Amino acid sequence: MSAPITALLDGETVTAVAGEVWSALVGEGELLLPGLGPVAPAVDGPSAWVTVTGPWDGVVVLTCGASGTADLTRSVLQLDDDEQPTAEDVDDVLRELANILGGNVKSLLPGPSALGLPETGPAPLRAEDEDTCRVSASWRGHDLAITIQGASEAPAHHTTEVPK
Amino acid sequence: MTASLATSGFDWVCQLVRRESAIVLAPGKEYLVEARLMPLARQLGLSGVAELVERVRARPEPAITRGIVEALTTNETSWFRDGDPFTALTGTVVPALQAARRPGEPISIWSAACSSGQEAYTIAMLLADSLPSATTRVRITATDLSRAMVDRTRAGRFSQLEVNRGLPAPMLVRHFSRVGAEWEISPALRQMVTASELNLAGPLPRLGPFDVVYLRNVLIYFDPPTKREVLRKVRQVMRPDGWLFLGAAETTLGVDDSWERVPCGRGSAYRPMKGK
Amino acid sequence: MRALVIDDSRAMRRIVASILEGFGYETRPAGHGREALDVLEEGWVPDLACIDWNMPVMDGLQFVSAVRAVPAWRQVTLMMVTTESEHGQIVKALAAGAHEYVIKPFTADAIGDKLSLLGLMPVPA
Repeated sequence: MSAPITALLDGETVTAVAGEVWSALVGEGELLLPGLGPVAPAVDGPSAWVTVTGPWDGVVVLTCGASGTADLTRSVLQLDDDEQPTAEDVDDVLRELANILGGNVKSLLPGPSALGLPETGPAPLRAEDEDTCRVSASWRGHDLAITIQGASEAPAHHTTEVPK
Repeated sequence: MTASLATSGFDWVCQLVRRESAIVLAPGKEYLVEARLMPLARQLGLSGVAELVERVRARPEPAITRGIVEALTTNETSWFRDGDPFTALTGTVVPALQAARRPGEPISIWSAACSSGQEAYTIAMLLADSLPSATTRVRITATDLSRAMVDRTRAGRFSQLEVNRGLPAPMLVRHFSRVGAEWEISPALRQMVTASELNLAGPLPRLGPFDVVYLRNVLIYFDPPTKREVLRKVRQVMRPDGWLFLGAAETTLGVDDSWERVPCGRGSAYRPMKGK
Repeated sequence: MRALVIDDSRAMRRIVASILEGFGYETRPAGHGREALDVLEEGWVPDLACIDWNMPVMDGLQFVSAVRAVPAWRQVTLMMVTTESEHGQIVKALAAGAHEYVIKPFTADAIGDKLSLLGLMPVPA
């Protein structure tokens, strides 16, 4: 019998990965505080996601509360406080954050997996699957959510081979 | 500006950081503490760093304490930090030791302020890659003031951000494996390193004798009499033909005249003066 | 010193370029491997290329192999800067001819450390 995928992708690990992404990309000393955001999937802003394919198929989705997108984009791109980022900048920043989160999540999985190119749009993407793991967080008072959607069982097959 | 950090608050933060990380924040670094902790204070909806410190002192919260330490200590340690003492090890020191010692005679090295272990494992990797039978012949003693740092060194596990700091990619793939979100040094290299708690300012336990000592970026935190005392104790646990490496901003000159400064690679090393 | 920054994310190109410019580099951006090859073919041969892995048109690994196949571009130091972080992926990139590997997320110091290792940290004037 397979183990649940949450044995590999648990909230604590995803939170730790997201924390590193935040301090490196959003800014030194910028903290993503887990568990302070709404528990229900109530984050009201845009999402960016990447697919992971291989022995386990899934999607890593980052959703940023509408109030936080401009602030987040300014922080990542090091824009001035009064500068209004373009919609394209916002999408690009969310995509890249999702890409980095996705790559790090992929590395937690056994066996060869491939990462898709990041996309943006309205979430959720795969209503047929349960959320495997959901981390609600708060950054500078803005809500954020990282969800991993996909099969609930971990791949039974384990190999160290690298994907082409 | 909001209420600034009182001296007692600053001292408390310094003690916390020193206890948890062995990193010493010099007096006068109040501005650094303010700047680095402000985002955390803002996160928690507090008006400033003074209020943050007051809150944690009154009611300790592990997550916030950790946040404070991390905000003040990240990026302080990297692999191959100031590369010269490492290129000198394989270029000059080990060939000299091989010539002076019997074949297979153990080589003992001390990483005297090991922090989370990067220095000790950098030495282990370099020697494993350049000296036959290094994994059985070389013994590395890693010590630190902080128990947390000693535990981290023993575990030999590093985050993604930590392995990104100056560790050559070929060495990463040769000597580490992925464990969850972290990277773990190989068991063979971990066995070369023995880590324990040690306060350099106190009496030293039975140690050595060492062929090489790395005592880098430690002396700068001590006053001149303590510096002299630490250097004297280090000399007592070194072989007479041993090598001492100090931090780039440190020297024995004018502190303890029983050392000879010798050019070593692109930098300098210190060797016990004969007859002293 | 010159650096080519290859990434399909404008945000990431901007971050990497601003770090390198802070160290004194002159930089040029490219959105994927093919665009980067165009820059090289045009005669702008950099000291360093920072290369994302997953990109449209031509990915980073294909770019590394393409550069390594041209003797005239031997002196270009190739550094992957990517979120691909499995052990096997790093081995693969090094085998294809990449010199160094930085895993996203990274800090400016991480780039600086790698440049020092590679002897590519410009000496301040």
